[in-house]
Amino acid sequence: MLHAVRSAEIDLPAFPPPARTALPEALRARVRSAREIGRRREREPLPTGVPALDRLLEGGLPRGELVEVLGARSSGRLSLVLDVLAAATAAGESAALVDLGDHLDPGQAAAAGCDLARLLWVRPQKVEHALAAVEMLLGAGFQLVVVDLGLPPVRGGRGIEAGWLRLARAADAQGAALLVSAPYRASGTAAAAVLELDRGPVHWLRSGSALLGGLGGSLTLEKRRGGATGRHAGISWRTAESPLAPPLPEPCGEGVDFDLRARASA
Amino acid sequence: MIPPLGLETAMPRLACLAVPLFPLAARLRSEPELTREALAILEGNGQAARVVASTRAARAAGVRPGLSLPQARALCPKLAVRTRDGTCERAAQEALLEIADGFSPRVEDAGDGVAYVDLGSLDRRYPGAAGEVSLGRDLAQAGEARSLPVRVGIASSKLAARVAAGLPGSPVIVPAGEEALFLAPLPLARLAPHLEISGTLERWGLSSIGDFARLAPAEVASRLGRTGSDLHAIARGLDARPLVPREPPPSFEEGMSLEWPLASLEPFLFVGRAALERLCRRLEGAGLACLRLELDLGLEPEGHLRRAIDLPAPTRDAKTLLALLRLDLEAHPPGAPVVGFLVRAHPDRPREAQLSLLGPAALSPDRLATTLARLFALLGAERVGSPSPVDRHRPEASALVAFAPPPPPDVRPAPHGGRGLLGVRVLRPPLSIEVLTGGDRPAAETPLEVRPVIRDDGERRPEIRGTVRVASGPWALEDGWWTDDPADREYWDVELAGGGVYRLFRDRRTGDWFADGIYD
Repeated sequence: MLHAVRSAEIDLPAFPPPARTALPEALRARVRSAREIGRRREREPLPTGVPALDRLLEGGLPRGELVEVLGARSSGRLSLVLDVLAAATAAGESAALVDLGDHLDPGQAAAAGCDLARLLWVRPQKVEHALAAVEMLLGAGFQLVVVDLGLPPVRGGRGIEAGWLRLARAADAQGAALLVSAPYRASGTAAAAVLELDRGPVHWLRSGSALLGGLGGSLTLEKRRGGATGRHAGISWRTAESPLAPPLPEPCGEGVDFDLRARASA
Repeated sequence: MIPPLGLETAMPRLACLAVPLFPLAARLRSEPELTREALAILEGNGQAARVVASTRAARAAGVRPGLSLPQARALCPKLAVRTRDGTCERAAQEALLEIADGFSPRVEDAGDGVAYVDLGSLDRRYPGAAGEVSLGRDLAQAGEARSLPVRVGIASSKLAARVAAGLPGSPVIVPAGEEALFLAPLPLARLAPHLEISGTLERWGLSSIGDFARLAPAEVASRLGRTGSDLHAIARGLDARPLVPREPPPSFEEGMSLEWPLASLEPFLFVGRAALERLCRRLEGAGLACLRLELDLGLEPEGHLRRAIDLPAPTRDAKTLLALLRLDLEAHPPGAPVVGFLVRAHPDRPREAQLSLLGPAALSPDRLATTLARLFALLGAERVGSPSPVDRHRPEASALVAFAPPPPPDVRPAPHGGRGLLGVRVLRPPLSIEVLTGGDRPAAETPLEVRPVIRDDGERRPEIRGTVRVASGPWALEDGWWTDDPADREYWDVELAGGGVYRLFRDRRTGDWFADGIYD
């Protein structure tokens, strides 16, 4: 006859101390105990190298989620993408850029700090091809996939929302960060976070004739699934070509704007 | 008594892999759905065609080798018929040799479903007689995994091993030194079925190999010469024929002749898929992957078409290869019905990656190769790769190189801030615009207003329009003056009143204005 025995009645030996504490910190985060297997894993965000973006997203691009960045012309959207790619490739990650408008200048990407050998450049001509390419890249294990939809009019429209939802699920399954750079909302409800870049003043240096020195603007968190929205931070970029361009100050605190033109003239 | 030999222990052990009814087995490997059907393989044309092999269901109906097609059909009205297919048999023979390659580096191709394997290096893994039995079973299982019914015989001479492989109860092991005893009761026809000397020996009243072995060697040599002397040694278990190792083939091939011409793509891809799957299994067995795929199509009535697809990285994913074939055939239809095909894979070592415990995760080389191939198929090779700057001054110039990322660092480096450099969104090709300039400004050519050039070519491109608020320039650019396509440009950075900072240039040869970038 079988008897059910409750675990409490069994004299269990003392459980050994958790071995994870003895591991290096980098490895400790990757090890899970048996009871943690069923739980959703806390994923470490991917630092972007853009302080304003890291601050608004609390550490960087969330892995396993789709983040959309919106911005008009000269809002700094491409510069932000290049910085994100530079930070990831410099950290040894392989990254993919799906460049719908074929706008990337490899020389500038290298100057921005991208390790071009770790960057896969994909240049589709239609939105549906871009979505299909992103799904393949996520499936291949890329930890950062950036989709730049280019300038309006976007070739092929916004794409169907189901396609974006499918990509968000693929990113979740692979634990990859998926960044969409678009001139207007494209990914719909699939985006876990939406940020908008507002164009600020243009920085012209005047030493004899005018010389482009940089762009400024602000980054606003328009949507954050499960988090607060409405926060914003200043952001700026300077030109590499101009030897006269002084290093721009680090972005000011949240909600503080600054006028580059005023600084230059001062 | 058979004279003692004394040299047995010095002879290497050999395994013979033999595929019974090889023409049938090769065909069934390509068309496994016919295995349970009544099927006969015919050789020859027209009335001269004769059955050379048949399936069990056909044999049960009385279809035997040597029958003509009408005779076979009379016995079995539902008999399916295939002709001998050299392409199928070559692929099956290669598959058999690759099975042998998986066990030993020294393999001889004896043709027609027979291969010899040198077991000299396997005595540690398969020691003793029990080890040889185990080895024989492993060889047979490897054959089954490749859809080939392999029988195995192990002995110290080729003939003994070949005869043992032909016996039921595979694997059959002939102990070392007992080859002569093993061969003795066998008929003389087994010794050299293709030589007339067998008939001579039978006329002498000899009926078995053992009878022949009992003759004095010197007498045999004086009457039958070198050939007879060699055969006599073989009959005594001394096979002087060395194992001739084969050179590994430069490519892997699979294909078949089709029973009827295929005029549409889908049926062809159906049979092509099975061939690609077999090809990929063979590549995997050899630890290789496909870097270049060639397709040879036989066209009706006597045409021929060859297509070649270069892959960005070695892969052995059959689905990817099939997708590439589909896209290539859709782009370049054969133009005539297909009556046969051959897919040839040029192999290369698959990329390998060392996984890191503490650093960033490396991409799986197999998955990456498959993904790149699929992206090539979707977008074209010129749209996928690693960006590379070119040694030109034109901003729109760029180049792609093969994406082969270096291994990730062992330890993840600390994150650092971006350089904060302003990027330029390159417009490819440069956008044609109209620019109004004013003579009353300090620089006579200073832009005042920018308007788009309206083109009715159906393509929607970004529109650039507005009054110039700030203009910076001009900067001269001259590039490729020694080529047929020189560039002589005057660049301006302009901020338009409506927002946006643009990089414009005026072509100094034509005076036309273009926008080739947006500061973004």
